[in-house]
Amino acid sequence: MSAETASALDPDDGLLVLDGIVKQFGGLTAVDDLSIAVEEGEILGFIGPNGAGKSTTFNCVTGRYPPTSGTVYYDGEDVTGTDAHRMVTKGLARTFQEFRPLEDRSVRENVELALTPDKLFSLQGLRGETRQRAAAICERVGLGDRMEMLPDELPHAGLLRLELGRALATEPELLLVDEPFAGLSGPEVESISNLLSDLRDEGLTLVVVDHNMRGLLSLIDRAIVIQFGAMIAEGAPEEIKQDPTVQEAYLGGDEL
Amino acid sequence: MSDRSDRGDGQPLDRLNPMRLGLRHQLGLVGLVGLGTLPLVIDATFALTLALAYFWGVYAMSWDVVSGYTGQISFGHGVFFGVGGYTSALLNLGYGIDPVFSIPVGALLAAVAGLIIGVPALRLRGPYLSLVTLVAPLILVQVFIFRSDIFNGEQGLSSVDPLFGLSTFGNETAFYYVALGLFVGVLALLLLITRSDAGSVFTAIREDEDAVAAAGLNPAKFKIMAFVLSAAIGGLAGAVIVHTPSGNASPTTLMSVTVNVEVIIAAILGGMGTIVGAGVGGILLILLREQLSKVAWTVPIIDTPVSDIDFLVFALITLVLLYALPGGIVRWVIELGGQSVAKLRGRDDVAADGGQTPLEQVYDSYAEWFSGGDDDER
Ligand SMILES: Nc1ncnc2c1ncn2[C@@H]1O[C@H](COP(=O)(O)OP(=O)(O)O)[C@@H](O)[C@H]1O
Ligand SMILES: [Mg+2]
Repeated sequence: MSAETASALDPDDGLLVLDGIVKQFGGLTAVDDLSIAVEEGEILGFIGPNGAGKSTTFNCVTGRYPPTSGTVYYDGEDVTGTDAHRMVTKGLARTFQEFRPLEDRSVRENVELALTPDKLFSLQGLRGETRQRAAAICERVGLGDRMEMLPDELPHAGLLRLELGRALATEPELLLVDEPFAGLSGPEVESISNLLSDLRDEGLTLVVVDHNMRGLLSLIDRAIVIQFGAMIAEGAPEEIKQDPTVQEAYLGGDEL
Repeated sequence: MSDRSDRGDGQPLDRLNPMRLGLRHQLGLVGLVGLGTLPLVIDATFALTLALAYFWGVYAMSWDVVSGYTGQISFGHGVFFGVGGYTSALLNLGYGIDPVFSIPVGALLAAVAGLIIGVPALRLRGPYLSLVTLVAPLILVQVFIFRSDIFNGEQGLSSVDPLFGLSTFGNETAFYYVALGLFVGVLALLLLITRSDAGSVFTAIREDEDAVAAAGLNPAKFKIMAFVLSAAIGGLAGAVIVHTPSGNASPTTLMSVTVNVEVIIAAILGGMGTIVGAGVGGILLILLREQLSKVAWTVPIIDTPVSDIDFLVFALITLVLLYALPGGIVRWVIELGGQSVAKLRGRDDVAADGGQTPLEQVYDSYAEWFSGGDDDER
């Protein structure tokens, strides 16, 4: 399947639907008329060379900034331009590609923040319950033995796990994971892949970004490839690998 | 989002049991009891100096809960002291309302002023609050001078009724306790709030607002709460002080540029982002200033007595302290204390320190904003 077939989408075509999203920074078009439907329960690979507009697309969806034009639907509802924290309460969580832990507190306390109710007066944190739930989430993402460390004591893979833990603590239905595999060793890629596919088996829908197919091939159900902010291919992972447009996009640059 | 609600049980109260507090908190309590018994041994003049110092402790703590915790620096907290003080004074003078009733109205109006300033400025990201608070007190002072018929210009309003019908001469001890009571009450309230969940959200905002939003928390809501709370407490302090010998409803007491700057200095010197530090900083600031104004010694080369240039000397001491103790006096004392306790117990494992000081965090985020480099993901 190639890009031409992607036409205007319906709000109910998936859990998350992007319809004609455009994002411009001054004269630069970072996302160019992108339409995507994420189906409930799938793991969608969102692939493109560096600078293709993947993170920008995430930012438009998660409310970091609004798209220049186009519509975002979540659960059939128009959520274009909704604030970031509102999107999280609706069930859509994200991780940051550049990792943004709170450096002033331990790993566990970072997760606790995401368990804190969005209420002005709450003493929940003074009780042991939040602490235990945070500890359980740390275990879940593989930081069980490191939860009293400060983020700057964690290795790269540990920071990624912390991003995942903090996102999971918001109890999402849909998780957007931005370039988890960049900078990880082979065994680490496998371990994170396993974690993500376990999460899917528990009912989570996932969109996983990468700049190449490494680590994604066995994980994802479906892939979308973008270049210069526009979709160039969509389909099963093996099909994508053989797609001539995709191969051309990666010629001379990143490895697919 | 199923299990995010509150369920009450006994633990929070248990934490306030003095026998179960840590060493430094027990020492703090002993210190407060000491301050409570101080009037037995000091004279009336010093009691009034200390009363003024407690008011400054409250000013600095009110600043700290918003600026020290959320990292949104207010350069014009005098606006709230001013709104509180003038409101209470005008109600008392114009309508004969007893200070006991006019003071809460002053605090309330200060909170409203906090909403008016805070809501537009804090919904945006970046240091808009700083820019707005920089000009707000200047505008207010100009209005007060322009309408001198009501506000009596630079002189301000005097001969308002003292609180509880106390008399300015003879009741110094009572005023001491009024100020100490306000100080302790505000300290307790702010400690409770900053040690609850809201406090950890405040400091997270200071670190990274995007991360807070990604955790499903509304940063604007928490910033506005901190600011309005801060405004109300500042207004309360301003309203009380005008009914005591420590001050009157004038720009000098409540909202001059010097007041605005000294509040910030007090909080940073004492320890920004700790409440206790700000409170101690406010007290020390007044005591230091008072000491300097009494130094009769003449500086040789420039042939000027120290008491004439006390503000300059004060500013120099401040600068030196800021460089020497960037985390503030209270943090430094706690660290020293922690190290000696560890030594006494035969361990010297130094605890890992939690990254940057609040001052450095604020500096970084402001610098980042002004250089336009907020979007580091490419
Ligand atoms: N805040 C911004 N301001 C200006 N340009 C930006 C901004 N964010 C991203 N860009 C540009 O948009 C393009 C897409 O970036 P990005 O979405 O980060 O790519 P990817 O995540 O696919 O590597 C790049 O050319 C990048 O330089
Ligand atoms: Mg990216």
